Amino acid sequence: MSFLNKLGIGVGAGAGAGSNREVPRAIGGTGRPRTNSSPPVGAVGATRAPELRESNRVSNGLKEFLWNLDGLGRGALLDLGPAWQTTLSFFIERGFRVSSEDILRAWKEFLVEEEGKLREAAGRAAQHNLDVTPAARAARFLEANLQYPNSSFDAVLLWDLLDYLEPLVSKQIVANLTDLLRPGGVVFAMFHSKKPEGFQRYRVVDCTTLQVISSPVLCPAQRVYQNREIQDLFGRYRTMKSFVGRDQLRESLFIK
Amino acid sequence: MWKKEDGKSQGVPENAAGISTGSPAAAGSPARESSTGLPVSSRASACLSQGIRIKGEVTGSEDLFIDGHFEGKVNLSNGSLTVGPNGEVKADIFAREVIVRGRVDGKIVGREKIQLWSTGNVAGDLQTERLVIEDGAVLRGRVEIETGKPIDKHAEARGAAAGTSKGGVVSVNSGSAAD
Repeated sequence: MSFLNKLGIGVGAGAGAGSNREVPRAIGGTGRPRTNSSPPVGAVGATRAPELRESNRVSNGLKEFLWNLDGLGRGALLDLGPAWQTTLSFFIERGFRVSSEDILRAWKEFLVEEEGKLREAAGRAAQHNLDVTPAARAARFLEANLQYPNSSFDAVLLWDLLDYLEPLVSKQIVANLTDLLRPGGVVFAMFHSKKPEGFQRYRVVDCTTLQVISSPVLCPAQRVYQNREIQDLFGRYRTMKSFVGRDQLRESLFIK
Repeated sequence: MWKKEDGKSQGVPENAAGISTGSPAAAGSPARESSTGLPVSSRASACLSQGIRIKGEVTGSEDLFIDGHFEGKVNLSNGSLTVGPNGEVKADIFAREVIVRGRVDGKIVGREKIQLWSTGNVAGDLQTERLVIEDGAVLRGRVEIETGKPIDKHAEARGAAAGTSKGGVVSVNSGSAAD
């Protein structure tokens, strides 16, 4: 079994974009304000690609994040989610210089590439010299990603991607982000309190609202971080603040 | 190779960034469609078709459509560049308007506008006055809106409606609401 399969990404793993389209599970739970209700699930066997489903959730974490950035002037923000127009607009119009890098997509592409290299070596019946240990893989991934000068950013939107990366990669990414942040910089991250059944991406609607978009699974969830583990991950930060929602999503702010 | 086709090549209509919701194809209400279903502009003139591979530098002031492989530098001072869905461009691009439906690796300066369609994939910095990103587009780089004026930080209450698009195309147009 390939390591892609072990990670639940390979063909037949049931987590591919085509095999396990996410059922639109309303995030935000009861009592959460939302602007649109989930449309009905498409017919079984329908060939049309399912539409992305969206719901809104009030985000105290985002509110606090923006409060921390208030008065910054022309700050620099790194968005590690997909490049959504609304999110970019929101921050650009507030004077931020925004950099965008979809880490989860990059991670998936990286894994597929690594899988290809291994297959190629196996096809040639040659001994591959690719170090496939998690540590080596994390190092290779970060050689090509998150390449910015130190102290480049005032804020980072990390979203919930740590839940979906290999723990070693997550640890290394947090370490790298700490270097990329200026003193006083803020990280906005989210953690699922239980293993997420679906895969969502997030975009900013306004100062207190996030849009939750159920998307085809890019990477399966790797682990659920407990409070202590989160504190350890962000041990170099001076302040941590968390907001736990009814939807089992913990929003956290880390200030360097 | 370079095809001169009066009004036949594939570009994007002037009003493609109709900045309305819906897919860009619908947004522009193109005058007509090419055989591949792409919107056709009467302004578009030169075309680098799929399967063609070129290395070098392109300069000019007309519109250009690239659906093949291009490596080098593109400078269309007053023209627009459209990278088609099969296009792969490894170049720094300078143009009045840039539309990306394929892959671009390099810095893009679109003086007036840059549009990333859902199939677009850009690895490089973007510099423009107006930016349109469709859901699904992939961007890895920094965004600089040239005439962007930081908006009033306390305008949130009145600007709370910003960003309520649902999968449509909206524009970052400095000084105006997001959607």
